[in-house]
Amino acid sequence: MEEPPVRGQEGEDDEDDEDGAGPEGALRKSPLQLTAEDVYDISYVVGRELMALGSDPRVTRLQFRIVRVLEMLETLVSEGSLAAEELRMERDNLRKEVEGLRRAGPAAGPEVNLGPDKMVVDLTDPNRPRFTLQELRDVLQERNRLKSQLLLAQEEVQCYKSGLIPAREGPGGRREKDTLVAQAGNASRNKEEKTIIRKLFSFRSGKQM
Amino acid sequence: MAKKTYDLLFKLLLIGDSGVGKTCVLFRFSDDAFNTTFISTIGIDFKIKTVELQGKKIKLQIWDTAGQERFHTITTSYYRGAMGIMLVYDITNGKSFENISKWLRNIDEHANEDVERMLLGNKCDMDDKRVVPKGKGEQIAKEHGIRFFETSAKANINIEKAFLTLAEDILRKTPVKEPNSENVDISSGGGVTGWKSKCC
Repeated sequence: MEEPPVRGQEGEDDEDDEDGAGPEGALRKSPLQLTAEDVYDISYVVGRELMALGSDPRVTRLQFRIVRVLEMLETLVSEGSLAAEELRMERDNLRKEVEGLRRAGPAAGPEVNLGPDKMVVDLTDPNRPRFTLQELRDVLQERNRLKSQLLLAQEEVQCYKSGLIPAREGPGGRREKDTLVAQAGNASRNKEEKTIIRKLFSFRSGKQM
Repeated sequence: MAKKTYDLLFKLLLIGDSGVGKTCVLFRFSDDAFNTTFISTIGIDFKIKTVELQGKKIKLQIWDTAGQERFHTITTSYYRGAMGIMLVYDITNGKSFENISKWLRNIDEHANEDVERMLLGNKCDMDDKRVVPKGKGEQIAKEHGIRFFETSAKANINIEKAFLTLAEDILRKTPVKEPNSENVDISSGGGVTGWKSKCC
């Protein structure tokens, strides 16, 4: 409070005032931002002012009190800054941890949560499974039905070729009972229909011509 | 189609672990050929072969199943219609032999009670890689009261014999008239060309 005049005298020590703040700058700081260095600056400033007051024993006694207060302040400030540093490190670690979890979360999360009988399908894999067992079953049944029809047809062709069956002979519906292929019956029944269809076709194509 | 090319139709089924050679065994029997490239059977396939036994033309419709577990629900639905089942293992693959009991259980569960069964130890040409002694195959077959052959589709060992034996066993217990009476009717109408009198 009585500093300004004192400071005027101290202004000559320009080494302390290089950055405009100087030791006095510490006194203008927010107490929450005070460091041990600032406390040393303050004690330097206060010490010089006490010296300027002369060697009155009351001043000397006051000086001890002030030194004691400054030591207490130093302890508080350095402890506070240690605690702040610890907290800062703790905060940084937690932040990193959260970031890591966030990054791994979306990818690994669902997989981890899958039940033991689940599987993940890569939708970009052109060879991924897509058909159901029932669909496969249907396709296989159709394949095998067509295959047996083909075999029967081949057999029949062979018979015609070898002359076993005169071309005029119509087949019976016997094959319907052939359990091998329920459809084989159709094939033989179709024979009669086919001739009709063929007639229709030749008729039609004749017309078109 | 019209010509009745057979007197009886027997449905056979091949089962066993993946890779034991079921398809090759069948291919050797039906086409007398062997292919070394392994193509896993998808679900179920079949081949036809007509043989003559005791003066009867017997059409064998042989179903070849995929051994892979993932096809089991498809393949087991074909057990029911089978009159004979060949259970194949690989003499160079111990696991395929161990699984015989599992396959036998499948037969019990899904096949007709009176189905004719047969055990085949395939790849018997690869004796240097054998891990299942012939005696073990014979023993397990005996335990279950079924026939046993060691076969090789590659070297054409016992393939035809196995199929013909199985067909004979089925023929032996086939009542001549009943289950395939429609077939028998035709043949009794006058041999192979008996159909003529039928349909004209």
